Amino acid sequence: MKIFKFIVSKIFLRKAILGIGVMLLLCMANYITFTAARSILSTFQGYQETKYVNQEGVYIANLDPDSHIDMNIIGENGTQAVYDYLNSNFKYAFYTDGFIVSVPNSDDMEISLGYMNEQYNRLNGFELSQGTDLYFDYQLEGEIPVLIGKGLSKTYPVGSTIKIEESVIGRPLTLQVQGVLKQNAYHSNYYALNSKTYYNFSILIPVNEEFINHASMDIQLNGLMDITLLDTSKEEIANLSEIIKDNLGLRFNFFSQKENYDYFNEYYLHSLKIIFITTFILLIVITCLSVWNALVSVRLMLKDFTINLLVGLSYSKLKRIFYGYFGMIAFINVALISIFTAFNRYGCWLRKDATFATYGLFGLIGMDWLALLSVVASDIIIGIIIVESMLWKIKKVPISLGVLQ
Amino acid sequence: MTKIIDLSVKEKIYKSKKSKLSILNNFSLEVAAGEKIAIVGESGVGKSSLLNIIGLIDRDYNGEYTLLGSATNNLHTSELAQWRNQKIGFVLQESALINSLTIEDNIKLPLLYAGSGKKEFKPEDFESVINAIGIKPILKKKPLECSGGEKARAVFARGIIMKPQIILADEPTASLDMENRERIVTLLFKMNREFNTTIITVTHDLEIANRHDRVIHLESNSKCFAGVMKQ
Repeated sequence: MKIFKFIVSKIFLRKAILGIGVMLLLCMANYITFTAARSILSTFQGYQETKYVNQEGVYIANLDPDSHIDMNIIGENGTQAVYDYLNSNFKYAFYTDGFIVSVPNSDDMEISLGYMNEQYNRLNGFELSQGTDLYFDYQLEGEIPVLIGKGLSKTYPVGSTIKIEESVIGRPLTLQVQGVLKQNAYHSNYYALNSKTYYNFSILIPVNEEFINHASMDIQLNGLMDITLLDTSKEEIANLSEIIKDNLGLRFNFFSQKENYDYFNEYYLHSLKIIFITTFILLIVITCLSVWNALVSVRLMLKDFTINLLVGLSYSKLKRIFYGYFGMIAFINVALISIFTAFNRYGCWLRKDATFATYGLFGLIGMDWLALLSVVASDIIIGIIIVESMLWKIKKVPISLGVLQ
Repeated sequence: MTKIIDLSVKEKIYKSKKSKLSILNNFSLEVAAGEKIAIVGESGVGKSSLLNIIGLIDRDYNGEYTLLGSATNNLHTSELAQWRNQKIGFVLQESALINSLTIEDNIKLPLLYAGSGKKEFKPEDFESVINAIGIKPILKKKPLECSGGEKARAVFARGIIMKPQIILADEPTASLDMENRERIVTLLFKMNREFNTTIITVTHDLEIANRHDRVIHLESNSKCFAGVMKQ
């Protein structure tokens, strides 16, 4: 340890090119690896989650990009007519969220309300850590069973009630906590699979036909945007498109299983490949730069190494010192990335941003730890390449008195 | 007299992509404890290569080498490093200092590697070395702040700090003025006198060489060395 401390502090760190150069290059490599790994993991999670869309007979709604929304011609009767048609002719999964409401809680977070019907709950429901699953045959007048995020469970344990002034129905509602979602329960965005909404501070309200019939136009229209039709066909959907167009003046596309599948594969797999290849190329470039930097450093420090070797340093000890030094730099970088990421995650708590507030060891969630693991793996590979290159360079010019002349 | 070096080199080859150079062909050397030997010869004949072999720096040669009664060919690299640290002292040109360290840190460098096999070393030993060499005022200076003579004495101090049994001096006075040259040679011979340290000096300076017990004259392309016994 004494020798390591001496060589690092009195020799390595006195040569800025090795001390700072390797640190900066490795930091760059680590950050790229971390970002790419997290992005790939998050996209993969989203892909896994939305696999239910890729089933025979499933069609997902998507507002045509050329269709202009004119709220002046859209009325509550129009949206209700669409839902009447849906209720009579289709089995559909309804889900919408993002309705913010103030509910007292220990973390003083703004609460996001999510709405889902029974079909959606079956298709892509949430896993629970406490309580029981939702039931949908309730009356609006009574207590409505709800699921809540982990962040609310301290204030509202299973069985407790929450009273809210809710704009969707337009009257006070009494909610009864039926179950608590697993920590960091999330849903991925259909169109940006690496993007997620977390439900630690959400209340999920079950939607039944009565609820839809009493709901405001806002939620009805929002729900239509991502509505998923099940066990149906192109022909049946053509009629629905006409109904929507007649009542709302909007043109909707409904993508089939195959179209969705092709879309995901073409767009997201392609994106993943691009991220992976770009990261790989950047890592190779950075590794080459690091090796070059290390070799230049060796050339600058050859005299210093030779003197140390003459007075008792051995190649095996020097090898351990190099690996120790590289390990130390890698540890500092990984620690910096961890702190930076934890601080970002903590920022969501400071901003009271309910949709991104997450729980995790030292503030990091599972995906962050996996990404850090990939950073450590890449550091091990880069470290071996750099250290072995340095030793090769040093041994290429064997220690000799000639080096000092 | 006890024989401490018994070296027999069949050949030492330097290879490059374009050429191959063979030196020290059928060279042999025996040195007794406390002997002072000078190695002279033209540039490129293998003086420093010979010192590299004797100093356990270079093992890439065809031959046998017994040092202090032990065959060195089978020693592990870490053992070689330990021997270099404790049994051999290198006195080199004044430029052989690490510029980022103070003179004191440069001198104490061998102590860092002494490890478990460390000889008993007391602070007063260091004091006595630097007082004998007269470099106390420059201990906190960096090499670039010192004169050539001061640096040469610092290199000398580092070479003897572990009280080695053998001192290998490679052109120790090459770039020094007369006064400093005399100081270094006097210090070398003082070590020999007081501690019976074996001295092997590579030099171009025949006047200094002739003050040694033996002068070995290496000739280029020679198959064996030309040795001149002075005594």
